[in-house]
Amino acid sequence: MSEFLARNRLILLAYAGMVLLLLVTAVFSPGFLSASNLRSTVVLAAFVGIVALGQTFVIIGGGIDLSVPWVLNCAAIIMTLLCGGQDLPLAWVAPLVLAGGAGIGLINGVGVAKFGVPPIIMTLATNVILQGLILVVTGGSPTPPAPGLIKFLSVGRIGPFPVIALIWLLLTVAATILLSKAPFGRHLYALGTSVTVAEFSGVPTARTTILTYVISGLTAAFAGILLTGYSGQAYLGMGDAYLFTSIAAVAIGGASILGGSGHYLGTVAGAMVLTILTGLLPALNLSSGALLVVYGAVILITVSLGSEAFAGLARLLRSSAHKGEA
Amino acid sequence: MTPLAASRPGSPEAPNTRDWHGWALDRAPFLVACLMLAVIATIYGSKQTGVFTLDELNLDTAAAMTLMLAATGQTIVLIRGGIDLSIGGMISLGTVIAATRFTDDPATVLFWSLAILALGLAIGALNGLLISVLKLQPFLVTLATWSILNGVAMIILPTDGGSVPGWWIGFGYLQFLGLSSPVWMLVALVVFWWWFRSTRLGITIQATGSNEKSAFLSGVSITRINVTTYALSGLFAAGAALYLTTQTGSGSPTIGKDYILPSVAAAVIGGVSLFGGRGHLAGTLVGAFILTLIGNLVFVLKISSYWQPVASGIILLLSVLASSIADKAARGRMR
Amino acid sequence: MDLVVAKGLSKRYGGIVALSEATFSAHAGEVHALLGENGAGKSTFIQILSGAVRHDAGTLKVDGADYRPTDPDDAQARGIAAVFQELSLIPDLTVEQNIWFRREPRTLLRTVDRAQLRRRTREMLDRYEFPPLRPDVELRRLTLAERQIVEIAKGLAKDPRVLILDEATSALPAREAEWLLGLTRRLASEGRLVIFISHRMAEVRAIADRLTIFRNGRTVAAHEAGGVSDAEIVTQMIGRNLDRLYPDRVATATERVALRVTNFSSGRLDGASFSLREGEVLGVGGLQGHGQRELFQALFGASPATGTVELWGKPVAITSPRAALTGPDGIALVPEDRRGQGLLLTKSVRENLTLAVIRRFTERGLLSSRKEAELVREMVDFLRIKAQTPDQLAGTLSGGNQQKVIFGKMLLTQARVLLLFDPTRGVDVGTKGEIFQLMRDLAAKGYAILFHSSDMPELVHVADRVMVLRNGRVAAILEGEKISEESILGAAMLEGEAA
Repeated sequence: MSEFLARNRLILLAYAGMVLLLLVTAVFSPGFLSASNLRSTVVLAAFVGIVALGQTFVIIGGGIDLSVPWVLNCAAIIMTLLCGGQDLPLAWVAPLVLAGGAGIGLINGVGVAKFGVPPIIMTLATNVILQGLILVVTGGSPTPPAPGLIKFLSVGRIGPFPVIALIWLLLTVAATILLSKAPFGRHLYALGTSVTVAEFSGVPTARTTILTYVISGLTAAFAGILLTGYSGQAYLGMGDAYLFTSIAAVAIGGASILGGSGHYLGTVAGAMVLTILTGLLPALNLSSGALLVVYGAVILITVSLGSEAFAGLARLLRSSAHKGEA
Repeated sequence: MTPLAASRPGSPEAPNTRDWHGWALDRAPFLVACLMLAVIATIYGSKQTGVFTLDELNLDTAAAMTLMLAATGQTIVLIRGGIDLSIGGMISLGTVIAATRFTDDPATVLFWSLAILALGLAIGALNGLLISVLKLQPFLVTLATWSILNGVAMIILPTDGGSVPGWWIGFGYLQFLGLSSPVWMLVALVVFWWWFRSTRLGITIQATGSNEKSAFLSGVSITRINVTTYALSGLFAAGAALYLTTQTGSGSPTIGKDYILPSVAAAVIGGVSLFGGRGHLAGTLVGAFILTLIGNLVFVLKISSYWQPVASGIILLLSVLASSIADKAARGRMR
Repeated sequence: MDLVVAKGLSKRYGGIVALSEATFSAHAGEVHALLGENGAGKSTFIQILSGAVRHDAGTLKVDGADYRPTDPDDAQARGIAAVFQELSLIPDLTVEQNIWFRREPRTLLRTVDRAQLRRRTREMLDRYEFPPLRPDVELRRLTLAERQIVEIAKGLAKDPRVLILDEATSALPAREAEWLLGLTRRLASEGRLVIFISHRMAEVRAIADRLTIFRNGRTVAAHEAGGVSDAEIVTQMIGRNLDRLYPDRVATATERVALRVTNFSSGRLDGASFSLREGEVLGVGGLQGHGQRELFQALFGASPATGTVELWGKPVAITSPRAALTGPDGIALVPEDRRGQGLLLTKSVRENLTLAVIRRFTERGLLSSRKEAELVREMVDFLRIKAQTPDQLAGTLSGGNQQKVIFGKMLLTQARVLLLFDPTRGVDVGTKGEIFQLMRDLAAKGYAILFHSSDMPELVHVADRVMVLRNGRVAAILEGEKISEESILGAAMLEGEAA
């Protein structure tokens, strides 16, 4: 089993960090571990986690998706506008909006895989274009409230469990199957490790790349729809925070930004860590500024733990401890 | 770019000569940027009187200067083959420190200005050190330091506010020979670049971005180059922050993020390669002008200002596609 | 007095001895050739000399003083410069910037003095009668040969007392190669020591004053160039282990054509036509850079090509490696660059082996670990891959075992036309023998193998026929008794010498 531990060291570290954080929080803020508080933490983490699902796939494939904020925001605005607060239109609106998210992902993917545009530039461009277009279309006016069904999905409960936590669980299972049990996962890890080797091994590299961006567009749009239920309506800028948190969750979860490694299970822990931190700081009487400082420090520490240099250092220390010589 | 391009042997039968066609292909992204700037200026000039005057130049340069300063640092980092997201945090932090520490006393202002510049230099050096010593990715390291700097800025000044002395705000209106101080700063940037790119340091940064391994084999210390590169970027970000306070007259803990990706975009529009080794500040400055003028254009065309981001996104995509097509054509000519 | 003296020089990489107790001496004003097969220790020796690696044991003296360089800058300060095959040039800098990189003349403003830079470059290029080079062209626009010339200029610009040339002629066309030989003599006559590595006996004969022979990490002999015959040199280079390295060559080729290529062009490859039969090993030889790489890459669909290709009698259009790897009727490549093209170093042996055949263990859309394990075990046993577990990372295997994993990956695709591009490069002798045996075994089973090697003896001893490429065309196809190093070289160089 030590093989398993070594291979998944970073993911396990993320979970260890999560548990540690929970315990620390419990000490400083005794009410934190109550059922209701844990529930609201999981609900908030779910939004980060769902957006970060697509981001995980893109990053494992060696890319990055900066278009997440306004794909999310556009999905939220279009969904609430078209539904007008009613449940019934969702039957066609939801598939339409999700398809729109996937379509943006398709454009990103084709730009990256077929035209050789660097991912940062491609997704940055679609992000600002979407931002402008949705403003042009809506004029920035407030939207109708979210349909009741969406509210149920994001803040409702089935028994003791928040509905969105169950949705998140389902998505986690699906992502895990895709990454670990499906041919797509093998292709993806190979692609992220070395495009050339993957290509020389017959992996459909372009198709795989495009698919990761499509998934990212889908999950961002889905998160946008759900988020309206949480905040009651759609508003401008509601997606902005998710750019940073989705990338941070993936990084904390142990994936390399260069691609080829990581797992969505790690990202889940990353999303939880970020959300628990958000809950912890008010308990410590710290401001949102301090939260950003802590976020930055946590990212630095986790990526350092995963770095080649750190692994080399650890090896060096071990071997010198064994032999008694440096 | 096909994924296999990297594995192919380079340029088998290239002619050992240089013709105007190849010269133009090499500079295609920059030429396209100049063309776009000309088109935008022409449309702008046809809708509005007095566009091609010194006053307009003074105004537009004043509006673009923060982005230009930030993008100068970013250009150096991109040519090195890296990226610096932390400039957003540094700009926020710089404005916040200035707005809370500056008094009417010029000596105090001078002291804190130097302190802010030194801080930028130090933070940048730290970025470079983390990247080389821990062998971390620039994107994540500078994302983390961006978050930290932004957080510190919010702790110092939770919301927009503070103030700077009146004479400090007047900086942008100073004129010499009919040109405002921002225009002279622009001139200084151009002169700086003309000097910097032909120093050994400038060439070594370009070489390291072009091929890190070859540079290393030629005896370049990668750590020293990284530290210097990111320190320069931090210094320019601090300079951008100081300039920004002369425009806004206050500090803002969040304003810096408006310059992170636009600084990259300005460089890319101007033909700087994200893969390192290629690009010039002239292109970046043209790119920064384009991004600034789009705002004016949207205004005089009397269309919704929401079209501004749409237009910048499209221009960004167009310039990247232009450079990728020119690259392919250049490679094709070598076969 | 001798300028460079080495005694008992040794270097190990982990368990592998790269250099063992090497002895060397050379004096100023001579051209000293280093001879030996690939992996004999020449490269390690010059890497130590040039400061790229440090030796573990032994002494090295330059001009009678101890010499233990810590890096190439240090070596340069002692007057030693090396021109390696692995180039140290910067693609986006111009020729002159590359030549004087980090040692540029400067103005009062600390900027590079471009006028002086140009003047110095011109002076040096003129003085040594360099082939025409434009100093203001970016390096990425140059051909491989031109880059090699720039690399030589970069070495000379350091005005070294000892100049090391590592197979510098191999990338050069005939005329430029001749120029370099003249240059070498001239540098020696200026009182410099030139250490010259080449696989071409004629060149060594033409310019070397003395030579040192390496074998299996040891220096086995040093001679005055005039006092030793070619045959003696070859015997000392090869030693006695030749017989056991190569398997018996049993002709297994049938009449059935597995691969027919007609008028095939891609990059430097210019209209090659040939056919490869079932059960045959067809060697591909010739001087480096005459279209071998393009032939293999284009047949595998990794670079675009024109012409027709038939596999097992059917015309095919192979536009990507994915289109090449179509199962039993397909065509598989063991690529040149093991780390860059062949292997995912940070992934397990298992994932590498099965990467090209994921379909073979997918059931109802999901991977079957049981079936995958069967495939992996089959290949690990068949190829005797030495890995602790199939989950060991491929990057931690020895070079030979890494190459076996790539073979395994391609064999699992069941393609029966195999393209092997220099499959024994950087592989230990034991595994080399295994690979040759494997090739003959596969041929006996009806596989058709196209085999390129940069080591000519391998072609001579393993291939049934040898096709020699020259200027992108098939210059000769040698068969049976006609296959020898001399005949291959003759076919490869004939036109080049006439030109």
